[in-house]
Amino acid sequence: MDNNPPIETQETTTDIEILIPTQAYFLSGIRDFVLNLTKNMTGFSERWAFRFQAVVDELCNNAIEHGSAAGQKIKVTIVSMPTKYLEVIVEDTGTGKDKMTPEQMTALFKERQQVVSDQYLGFRGRGLPKIVGEWTDEVTFEESAMGGLKIRIKKYLRKEEDTVSSAQTSDPTHIVLQ
Amino acid sequence: MTEVQITIEDIAGLPEGRLGKLIHVVGQLDESNVDEKAKEVYALIEANPQGLSLIFDFAGLEYMNSKSIGYLTDWYSKVSATGGKVVIAAARDNIIDILQVVGLTQLVNTYASIDEAKLAVSQ
Repeated sequence: MDNNPPIETQETTTDIEILIPTQAYFLSGIRDFVLNLTKNMTGFSERWAFRFQAVVDELCNNAIEHGSAAGQKIKVTIVSMPTKYLEVIVEDTGTGKDKMTPEQMTALFKERQQVVSDQYLGFRGRGLPKIVGEWTDEVTFEESAMGGLKIRIKKYLRKEEDTVSSAQTSDPTHIVLQ
Repeated sequence: MTEVQITIEDIAGLPEGRLGKLIHVVGQLDESNVDEKAKEVYALIEANPQGLSLIFDFAGLEYMNSKSIGYLTDWYSKVSATGGKVVIAAARDNIIDILQVVGLTQLVNTYASIDEAKLAVSQ
């Protein structure tokens, strides 16, 4: 009889919080960080790393343009459960030019998803409904403790093509910056 | 401001009465630079109001955001309205991917090489 206790495989998330001034200048650094984090720590493929880079960029651009006034900050939280999911939360202070409630934002998101078709010729409005909406599994809008909106997106890793070798995700402290 | 360089050269060998420009874009187009850089392309379109064809060489383009895709759509609309063509050449996989998700590849043709793009705009 084997008296050894069962081995528990404890799955923990890696949570990273970043505060960014409301200047687009800083977003290239955030994009590089998200790209390398996703490639090296989450189990998602390189293709998805580029997609998350764009998703986070669009969310941050929206928060800077509409949510937080100049001189303030936005908060980006990245939650990774390696080989399971990646979650990104972007919060603003609600002091920007277009303060909206979570309900208003939810309605706007749904409306834009219907408007933006394949032959859409408009100048703006592709970021949230297409780039964020198409490349994530969940998009939710809540009130943020910072005073504005909290946008939460989540993407589950479930397809074979999204998986990279486990060797690349075995050490959660090791990030290869390329 | 994120680094991006745009250089423009003439496309030789187009049929008489047609003018073509090859626009090389190297770096990242994002919120910090796209408004400023877009002015160069608008100036080109305004200076050549009829029959202009544009090839965007995206071999060196690492990233483009939704606003830069919006500009590309606007240039396509303006140039197409005057009988010209707009095509994309040599874009990386991540650029093709983002153009596909927003539906722009339904409007603007993409080619694997500049030579293929030149052939397309010369026809």
